[in-house]
Amino acid sequence: MTTVNPPPHAFSRRPPRIAIVGGGPGGLFTAWTIEEEAALPVAITIFEATDRLGGKACTPQFSTAAVWYEAGAAELYDYEAVGDDPLRELVRGLGLPTVPLTGSAVHVAGHRIACLDDLEHFHGKDARDRLVAFDTWARSAMTPQEFFESGSDHATAACPTSRFDTALDSIRSPEARGYVETMIHSDLATEPVATTTAYGLQNYLMMDPAYMRLYRIAGGNEQLVTAITTRLAAEVRRTSTVTAICGEDDGRFTVTWRSGDRTDQELFDIVIVALPVAALPGITFRDDHLAAAMQRHLAHHDHPAHYLRVSLLLDGPAPPVPGEDDYLMVDAFGGACLYVESGRDPVARHGVLGWLLGGEAAATMAGLSDDAITAAAIDALPPPLDGCRGRILEARVHRWIGAVSAVPGGWQPLPVAARHRPSPAHANLFVVGDYLYDSTLNGALDSAAYVAGWVTSSLTCAAHDSPPRTRTDSPV
Amino acid sequence: MNPDTRDPAGAGDEMSSAAVPAGLPAAAAIHRRVLASGVALDLLVVPTDRGAGSSDASMTDMTGLLRDWVSATAGAALAVVVPLYDCLVAWAPGRAAIVGPPEHLASLETAIIAFAAQDASLRDAERRGTAILDAIDADVAASTEPESWSREQQRGLTSRYHEAVTIGCRLSLLSSAIHAPPIHPPTLVTQLGERLRDRTRLVERHELATERAALAERVSEASRQRALELSVARQQIGLEWVIVVLLVVQTALLVVDMLASRGAT
Repeated sequence: MTTVNPPPHAFSRRPPRIAIVGGGPGGLFTAWTIEEEAALPVAITIFEATDRLGGKACTPQFSTAAVWYEAGAAELYDYEAVGDDPLRELVRGLGLPTVPLTGSAVHVAGHRIACLDDLEHFHGKDARDRLVAFDTWARSAMTPQEFFESGSDHATAACPTSRFDTALDSIRSPEARGYVETMIHSDLATEPVATTTAYGLQNYLMMDPAYMRLYRIAGGNEQLVTAITTRLAAEVRRTSTVTAICGEDDGRFTVTWRSGDRTDQELFDIVIVALPVAALPGITFRDDHLAAAMQRHLAHHDHPAHYLRVSLLLDGPAPPVPGEDDYLMVDAFGGACLYVESGRDPVARHGVLGWLLGGEAAATMAGLSDDAITAAAIDALPPPLDGCRGRILEARVHRWIGAVSAVPGGWQPLPVAARHRPSPAHANLFVVGDYLYDSTLNGALDSAAYVAGWVTSSLTCAAHDSPPRTRTDSPV
Repeated sequence: MNPDTRDPAGAGDEMSSAAVPAGLPAAAAIHRRVLASGVALDLLVVPTDRGAGSSDASMTDMTGLLRDWVSATAGAALAVVVPLYDCLVAWAPGRAAIVGPPEHLASLETAIIAFAAQDASLRDAERRGTAILDAIDADVAASTEPESWSREQQRGLTSRYHEAVTIGCRLSLLSSAIHAPPIHPPTLVTQLGERLRDRTRLVERHELATERAALAERVSEASRQRALELSVARQQIGLEWVIVVLLVVQTALLVVDMLASRGAT
């Protein structure tokens, strides 16, 4: 075993060097928060394997027309109805305008159900009563405050880890169950049989404004990472793939990275790995103890869930969606979400429809060609958007396979500190990721804020020659 | 009783003089509903077949027609059109139109009447609050100038103070309905109620009206207090002069009495 905590004064004579591996939202949020909170100068280097920062916050343009679309994360969560919302505050602080997202209609079994009256009309009063009973149970199982605190140690300890499909079994009406499953499937990104009741309930209760609301950033969610990147003092190395990390005897880490044909090594005081869980095996940890710890971390968190985005550019404005909805839930592809991304833009010359497929359907369809996926997506357009089938100018497909984490039944989350520091013996190697929370941009910020708080606290303590405070619980 | 079908506005029926606009289905009819506040609402009910989504051509054509009809009495600026699945609702103060399949019409009517009652109460509070604030300049000026203070002004100020308190109470009673959180899973009644509240900015208007009523109450109370103080002060000054005069008279009488007794000795 190589390392230990660094000497308390280790950083006192020069700015500590921090390597952040990964230029996605988690890495950028971490760099931003450290720079905001550090009481001392720090030298941060961000390694990004591709030439683009932002990861799942991805808002490219079509080639046929200069119209943007969301290729990754479609929405952000607003928790301000319940408590402090760091992401909302960050977005506000960066001066980014936001747009609320609402949706009420679920197209299931050939019927469009937008409210309880519709459910009763098509499937009878029993279906309505069964849904209301499930809803009542779900609220009692997870209050808005518990929902808000999900991910923290005390909240995860209280969450039911039984399989979510067993909870759905309590809905005795198949129609009501189909309504619920269709409504949440794309957010779940996995199947009810493969996740916990707590995770399933989170994805059901998020539809209730008392728990949270949805919004997006006007002009595209990627603006969030762009706004952060332009304000960062950190050195950003694009197309630089970190291949190995090795703990040294003095507590520092040697980071080996490759850019094109060139391979190089550098020493860093602190390393923060901010990669999707599926990318972690790409790094070699050249230290038996550290390698074993990372292997345990990976084994605990590697429960891949999948997304697939299909974006369709129309030859003119999209037809108005009744109810002023921004998205519809459709039972095609096992339950998918269809965003009318141009819906709130009164002067849009081109409509954009964005499919979000999740779970097994996304994994299966990812193996098909773009043309085949596009054809299936166009074919599945529900009313009132089915009239758009002949109006598609361009289609784009983005595969996010294994990009998020499912939470399998029986799975017990680790304490927050253990989630973020896989090897206690390597005190200055941290892990950041949305998969450590709820696989959302909000979760990525929670994770980044936790590690940034830990790092800045350690740096401050080191500068004052006092031992760093041991963190045992999440401050976020 | 199902809360969704309860008539929260205590509305009653009356004959309407408005005519069904041309171009609507033959089954369309107008009912006049008189809300508990006494405000009348002409309600145009247009039954349609289920499945005629609000983006259909017939619904799209109807949108302009209904907007024009509801705007006829209140002006186009106040008209709101809310498209829902299979349904369409147009509203302006005094008039509303609901379009939808027969099984939804009762729910739509319940929601629109409840909303119309809230809006009418709020609109009344806004109007009365504005009237008080319009008089505030004169009240403040009068309350600081005792020479120009008249009994009529004093009565007016007192009545405006009472009015401000009354408006505050009315707004307070309204707040539970206006600030009700969105319901999930939604019903048609709650969906339409929430959409109408959002579109007419009922929450913001209620907050503004509450602030204005509180301001009117504070200012009119302060003016009234100031006026009372000045009035009391004026009375005190008069009383003091009376006392002075009495003391002078008493002193004069004493002097006369002393002189008389001295002459006698």
